[in-house]
Amino acid sequence: MKEPKIKFDHVTKIFETRNQSITAVKDYSMEIQEGEFVAILGPSGCGKSTLIRMLDGIIPTTSGDIYIDGQKVNHEKKKMPQEVLRKMGFIFQQPNMLPWFTVRQNISLPLQVFALKGAKWEKQVDELLEMVGLKEYANAYPSEISGGMLQRAGVIRAMVHDPEILLMDEPFGALDELTREQMNMELLDIWSKTGKTIVFITHNIEEAVLLSSRVYVMGTQPGRLVETVDLNLPRPRQLSMITQPEFIEYRQKLERFIGKIDLSKIK
Amino acid sequence: MAKNEAITQRKKKEKKDPVNIIAPLVVLAIIYVGLEIGLRVFDVPAYVMPTPTNILIGTIKSFDIILPDLLFTIKIICIGFCIAIPAGIVLAALFSQFDIIVKAMQPVVIWLVITPMITLIPLMTLWLGTDPNLRVIVVIIQATPIICLNTLNGFIHVEQEKLEFAKSIGASKFETFIHITFMNALPQVFTGIKLGCIFSTIGAVSADFVSRGMGLGDRIIKFLKYSNFEQSYGCIVLIALIGISLYTIVSAIEKRIVLWKK
Ligand SMILES: Nc1ncnc2c1ncn2[C@@H]1O[C@H](COP(=O)(O)OP(=O)(O)OP(=O)(O)O)[C@@H](O)[C@H]1O
Ligand SMILES: [Mg+2]
Repeated sequence: MKEPKIKFDHVTKIFETRNQSITAVKDYSMEIQEGEFVAILGPSGCGKSTLIRMLDGIIPTTSGDIYIDGQKVNHEKKKMPQEVLRKMGFIFQQPNMLPWFTVRQNISLPLQVFALKGAKWEKQVDELLEMVGLKEYANAYPSEISGGMLQRAGVIRAMVHDPEILLMDEPFGALDELTREQMNMELLDIWSKTGKTIVFITHNIEEAVLLSSRVYVMGTQPGRLVETVDLNLPRPRQLSMITQPEFIEYRQKLERFIGKIDLSKIK
Repeated sequence: MAKNEAITQRKKKEKKDPVNIIAPLVVLAIIYVGLEIGLRVFDVPAYVMPTPTNILIGTIKSFDIILPDLLFTIKIICIGFCIAIPAGIVLAALFSQFDIIVKAMQPVVIWLVITPMITLIPLMTLWLGTDPNLRVIVVIIQATPIICLNTLNGFIHVEQEKLEFAKSIGASKFETFIHITFMNALPQVFTGIKLGCIFSTIGAVSADFVSRGMGLGDRIIKFLKYSNFEQSYGCIVLIALIGISLYTIVSAIEKRIVLWKK
């Protein structure tokens, strides 16, 4: 059997604050194959960001192991090795551009840090800028472009070093409905062209069903995996699909899971 | 062409609005004329305030006496200032690396900023001897803490998300510092340096007052002694001009470097 691209093996994260310890993620296991587009769905505060930030080496795990390509990547305290980080691109909830650099400088920064030099990578920057329609704004500062453009810049900054995995933490949550739908379609397009493995975090059920092949539903207190739902919907996905019966069925199923979580919370 | 639209727009913004130059000049002219008329009409004695024209004439007439002191003061301020800038920034960079030091040093730095250095000068003359060039040290002690304090403020208030981005690409401590922490602090570094201009000038002149023998501060007192009020006022104006010039130079450099803030 093929090695899963990403594997969580009983991962737990406990935050120790001054007066209490918060179990943000409890005993979480999942396996994601190469080239899959999966969604992680759950209400606010259920530990979605914590999960993905452990995967990208931003915060350490408390217990359990994370594997990428069969290699254990999480170490207590120690920094995640550069060659592992290179496999991943992280797209933040906010665009998170550095205001003191131009769009181009922002997008080139990962290349500089990963020591990827040369004409090939320069061309990569140009192509990505072109792809998301930011070519004319390459020399603008982040404060001079719109929110949608900023988020696009965030997407290509995560892709510039050609990672095999894209980690997206509610990437389009701050955008208006229309821009968001458009960005989602662009994302599907990128995915089908590049075959990257994508982990997409959202609290929007429709978005999860529209984009992914599998949805991991998380519950709160403690943050944990409550359900895994495989979606047998045809590709390529289109916005018009959201009115089809299969789509609605999946949506209602997920709604019930999320609803259950909410009920248990009230109790 | 569409390609450079964003850049051209910024260039346009950078272009100086003539109003920005003319307006202060008009205000200056009004103050000059207003004072000239007011002081004459109310017959204000010269020891309270001479008229601007008399100040100008007196200063020009005695300029050969003033010039060595002017050059000396400029030298002291510039040398002190040029040492205080890197010293303030480097100290802040060092402090910011260690949380405990930030907590421990901040009160000390604030204490240094608010202590009027003039109170220490007599002591320092005692320690350091009377070489006038040692006044540089007064300028450094006066300007470094304010530069350090502002810079440190910028260094320790970095958005968590920006640092997480650095982590997500595996940036080293040094890379994180130069690409994120330092750049984030740059506007505050300049605020510190601009305040430093003012503090350096104050430091140099107060050192003159105490140590005597040289410098514009000393020259003011000498002129007063012989009732040359016009010339004393002239020296005061010159001191202000030194401060303003430094401030203007720093602002101009800031505009060229901190391009992302309008
Ligand atoms: N650095 C931290 N220190 C202490 N507690 C934290 C920290 N980061 C997250 N938490 C806690 O962990 C829990 C999960 O937070 P997390 O940000 O992962 O949620 P989320 O699912 O991403 O929520 P949202 O949808 O609102 O972004 C929350 O209860 C939060 O308070
Ligand atoms: Mg989150």
